[in-house]
Amino acid sequence: MMSGRRLIREAKVAWTIGIKDIRIYYASPPSLMFGILFPFSMFLSFVIGRNMPITRAIPILIAQTLFFASSSIGPITIPLERRMQTFDRFLSAPVSLWTVLLGKTVAGFIYGIGISVIPIAIGAVFFGSQITDLLALVSGMILSAFAFAAMGIMFASLPGQGPGQILMPFNFVRIPLLFISGVFIPVKDLPYWGQIASMFSPLTHTIELVRAGLDGENFFGPLLNLSVLTIYFAVFVFVGIRFHIINQKRE
Amino acid sequence: MNDIITTQSLTKYYDSLLAVDHISMQVKEGEIFGFLGPNGAGKTTTIRMLVGLTTPNEGSATIKGYDIREEIVNVKRCVGVVPETSNLYNELTVWENLRFMAGMYHAPKNEREHRITSLLKTFGLTERRGAKFGGLSKGLKRRATIAAALVHHPDILFLDEPTSGLDVMSARSLRHFLRDLRETGVTVFLTTHYIEEADQLCDRIAIIVKGRIIAVDTPENLKAVIQGTSIIEASFTSKVESIAVEELEAYGKVEVKDNTLWIQVTDVSKSLKALTRFADDHGLEVAYMNTVKPSLEDAFVKLTGVESEIMLMEKERRGGGA
Repeated sequence: MMSGRRLIREAKVAWTIGIKDIRIYYASPPSLMFGILFPFSMFLSFVIGRNMPITRAIPILIAQTLFFASSSIGPITIPLERRMQTFDRFLSAPVSLWTVLLGKTVAGFIYGIGISVIPIAIGAVFFGSQITDLLALVSGMILSAFAFAAMGIMFASLPGQGPGQILMPFNFVRIPLLFISGVFIPVKDLPYWGQIASMFSPLTHTIELVRAGLDGENFFGPLLNLSVLTIYFAVFVFVGIRFHIINQKRE
Repeated sequence: MNDIITTQSLTKYYDSLLAVDHISMQVKEGEIFGFLGPNGAGKTTTIRMLVGLTTPNEGSATIKGYDIREEIVNVKRCVGVVPETSNLYNELTVWENLRFMAGMYHAPKNEREHRITSLLKTFGLTERRGAKFGGLSKGLKRRATIAAALVHHPDILFLDEPTSGLDVMSARSLRHFLRDLRETGVTVFLTTHYIEEADQLCDRIAIIVKGRIIAVDTPENLKAVIQGTSIIEASFTSKVESIAVEELEAYGKVEVKDNTLWIQVTDVSKSLKALTRFADDHGLEVAYMNTVKPSLEDAFVKLTGVESEIMLMEKERRGGGA
């Protein structure tokens, strides 16, 4: 059992790692490409030419940016650091692998939150969108950013010496999730089997909470949304750390 | 002196490949201990096991009394690691890299600035503190990487091929730093495939080949294994034909490179006469001839059976026959 003092020390190291990642990788081309350009261009290709009020479109953009930005940092930083052998710096330091991955999760979390605040601000300032349930919005964004950052860390455990080798298979998971998560078609309008499938996607619960926060619309109920996101966060963290431990043992 | 590192039958497999084969050794506190061996001998894998970067399959090891399997966090606290690749962050400055490492190792906050300043001074990096690591020369990168490994005041410094790829001056200056470091009480464990470096720098050397330690001793004692033998070095004004030297192999092991040949002999006088006869028979004019003391390389070849680069090149030229 970790003592309180050690816990604080590990938390400080995780923060140090997170801050370092923010400084080095936030403005790097793959982060900009997969964290910002990708969700914004997908959003634009979906909304342009459709008769959709902008206030209805804003939650889609928030959920997409949260999803792509948070989950991109791990698959970008970890393979790059493996290739440059800087990841060994963490492994030879007196900190646990949990701490290292927590630091990386924090970097993904802050990136996702930072980027997704932009559409909220744009919606509020230019299009008069209003927050109807602050708690649902904030808790949904925080939990989603953590869950997606952990999801990215989990995929970053795949063997590969470059972000492309991780992001390519990862996108085979991320992009199909968009279509079953009520992003483009609200959950209530999906067929019954679609509603069942969407319940298993973490992104469904993000968009549900964001919609609950901005226009009061919700299908599954915020409590279920928050519970599912919490479970996903725990599962991604647990599976991610197991995979990274297995990788380390192979080395 | 106490043993600060001990290993007992430490073994590592990569699938079916046996990379490190049941090695047992002791490293004494405050010494420079060299791990000498050809590429792929298992030097880096041994370091990686000792510092917790990879897990041994069999055997045990302790560092400063801490078991590397059970107390790896304590082990990591008292060691500094300098890998073969200078692996600080290219995007950060030298100062930022050292500050990051101080944070990783929980160096006391009120001492960090002083420690970093002092390390930069020691390693001649004060002027380059604001320079991005990625923009430094190879030699400066090496120094910065060593400085980063010392920021938490470790008791043991592990260096993997510290001078590999460095120019002569940078390598010399690095060796100077390492000797100074030993004076401060830090134990230095280094791997190298440069025999001369191990000879000049190390208090004791372990020779490792194909994952097995075949000798551990001081450079002087290792050289003594071929005491009683001498090496005659003879240089001619024209090139020596490789095929012609085969007749000299009756007197000892022969190496040839361009105009010079070396014979490892036991009877110097008899061999000198044979060499003079050889020169006359082949119309070679002797530029100079002298006997040289056996080097650590000779001891290494004798102990390991691993032939030097020159000998291998010569064999290749002769088409595999020796």
